[in-house]
Amino acid sequence: MSTTVFEKDRLPELQAQQRKRPWRKRPPVFTWSVALAVVIPAAIAAVLLFSTSIPDPIVMVVFYMPLQLIAAGVAALVSKGRHGVADSAIYVLAIGGSIFSLVVLISLIGTLFVNGLKAFSTQFLFQNNVYINPTTSLDYGGVGHAILGTLLVVLISMVFAIPIGIATAIYVTEVRGRAVPYVRFFVQAMSGVPSVVAGLFILTVLILSGALSSSALAGGLAYAILMLPTVARTAEEVLRLIPEDLRTGALALGSTRARTVLRVVLPAAKTGIITAIVLGMARVIGETAPLLLVIGYSDSTELNPFSSPISSLPTYIFANVDQPYPNAVTRAWGAALVLIILVGILFVIARILGRGKVK
Amino acid sequence: MSVIEPQFRDLNTAATSHRGDRIFNRTITTLAFTALVVLAGITIFLGAQAVPVLQELGPSYLTTTSWDLTVDPPTAGIFGMLYGSVLLAVIGLVIAVPAALLLAVFMVFMAPPKVAKVLTSLVDLMAAIPSVIIGLWAFYVLTGPAVEWQQLLHEYLGWIPIFRNESGNFLGTPFIAGFVLAIMMIPIITSISREVLSHTPPELINASEALGCSMWTMLRYVALPYGRGGIVGGIMLGLGRAMGETIAIFFVLKLVFQVNWYEIIESGGGSVASLIVSKFGEANAGFETQLLLAAGFFLFVLTLIINVIANLIVARTGRLQR
Repeated sequence: MSTTVFEKDRLPELQAQQRKRPWRKRPPVFTWSVALAVVIPAAIAAVLLFSTSIPDPIVMVVFYMPLQLIAAGVAALVSKGRHGVADSAIYVLAIGGSIFSLVVLISLIGTLFVNGLKAFSTQFLFQNNVYINPTTSLDYGGVGHAILGTLLVVLISMVFAIPIGIATAIYVTEVRGRAVPYVRFFVQAMSGVPSVVAGLFILTVLILSGALSSSALAGGLAYAILMLPTVARTAEEVLRLIPEDLRTGALALGSTRARTVLRVVLPAAKTGIITAIVLGMARVIGETAPLLLVIGYSDSTELNPFSSPISSLPTYIFANVDQPYPNAVTRAWGAALVLIILVGILFVIARILGRGKVK
Repeated sequence: MSVIEPQFRDLNTAATSHRGDRIFNRTITTLAFTALVVLAGITIFLGAQAVPVLQELGPSYLTTTSWDLTVDPPTAGIFGMLYGSVLLAVIGLVIAVPAALLLAVFMVFMAPPKVAKVLTSLVDLMAAIPSVIIGLWAFYVLTGPAVEWQQLLHEYLGWIPIFRNESGNFLGTPFIAGFVLAIMMIPIITSISREVLSHTPPELINASEALGCSMWTMLRYVALPYGRGGIVGGIMLGLGRAMGETIAIFFVLKLVFQVNWYEIIESGGGSVASLIVSKFGEANAGFETQLLLAAGFFLFVLTLIINVIANLIVARTGRLQR
């Protein structure tokens, strides 16, 4: 950087030079060999795929992959010499591994939209499932009751998990008591609790003991167990980013410790805290196992959170997946699409809020 | 040159003389121990259900594999299920670890920044897909090609014991279930490895480039050793998630009460979590529910151990890196 200070007049010129990166310049032989190394194995594989009866997976694994590795190795040998060969292998493998993950993801999202849209209509979003049996035409009924149920359960879990999660984060970053390492340890351990175990816990404590019947409240409590660690950990990260000067400044002005936290630190971290909440919601919204155990099942729209069994999107999908009737399965795909859209909305909100975060 | 360290006073202890502050501190401290209370609650309440089961059946509940409550005395054992959970997780790891590490390496060291950014979002998206949707997809989309792969494996590599299949039924195999777990583990392992690898000090990378290292040598001798602890921790966290996975496995794995030791493309296997869901619907409120709660207790203990180890590894590397 010192050169730029002394040669201010030449600054644009130097920057332009830097941007060109002469050491990264590639000789034409490199470009050509890479192009050939990409095209030749693909062409051979395509010929084998379309003109012979060798099964596709065999062509890919036995022919294409080794060919691609060899071709890349040869290209590297020609253009960069002996030391390039290992490099070419790692490049091919890394790109291949990335494509593998991408193919899975695209297949997942693609089939979800293709199959889900078949069930989609306005009435699918607003009607419930009361007069519907697995063979009813897709023109009737929908997942309105399940959407409401999911929202109700998530709202209840937020009532419990958000205050406690944020309090945990405040304890770690603001109160800084002696037990900080232990609290962090317990929160991390809690984040590993399997969702089915959270469901079993609520089932034993509240439902089998007779304190509650299957209801949205029980589901919300099970979700809260899963949501709490996410909220606590994200909020902790966010509170750490608040400059120490704000705290000392507030204290110097005579504010009490509690007021500093409630009136200065938390408002300063507002968007981050909301991100924590949104991520917590996204973490739990698709969890199925705990709800299967504690909320029961319902086809009608229920809004009583305390005593009536209720439906939710995950349990609705679960109930419809392995039915032998195509219409029921299409309904499951439709509900899955609604669910993934809800998750997507939450993530977009978190992204937008997280963008302005101080790094 | 001597630097005078400013003495920071612990603001926290200084300000507790105010009454409002004392109340605030106490409330926050109490709430902060909720995590401990919940963990202790799970241990106590589910443990209390496991005790009568162990009294009734003895250690055979953990060492045998059966589930028949119609005979007298009833037999139940979850060894096959516990072992199945581990087997599925191992299959998942074998697929997920290379894929996730390669993806992370690609994102950090090879892809142009814009591509890397898009990939990061996609990996986050993948992590956010609920397991019931992955199960739905696996049930209707993945099983088709997976059966074809398994048939080919059986045909050409059937002489290797793990690819043995005598029933001719390639549905509901540990391989498919393990593949599904891999899909769930890939985003977890990728995002942690990406995080760790992207914190490799640039001066180390620059130095290795200046010494003439190629990408492979740099990865092998600089980046991977540097991030090893974090990557192992990430793998353990993925493992913890895989052990507790329920719904997707429920759709794609045929539960059998025999130990399927290693025949990964033979129909039938075990998983504690999906045992709980599959038996819960028909369970009567008495002994069978208790059996399931006990299974949940041992699943909890198993995942807790894995997660604690994982977090200790990640925490230790974090400290080393800072």
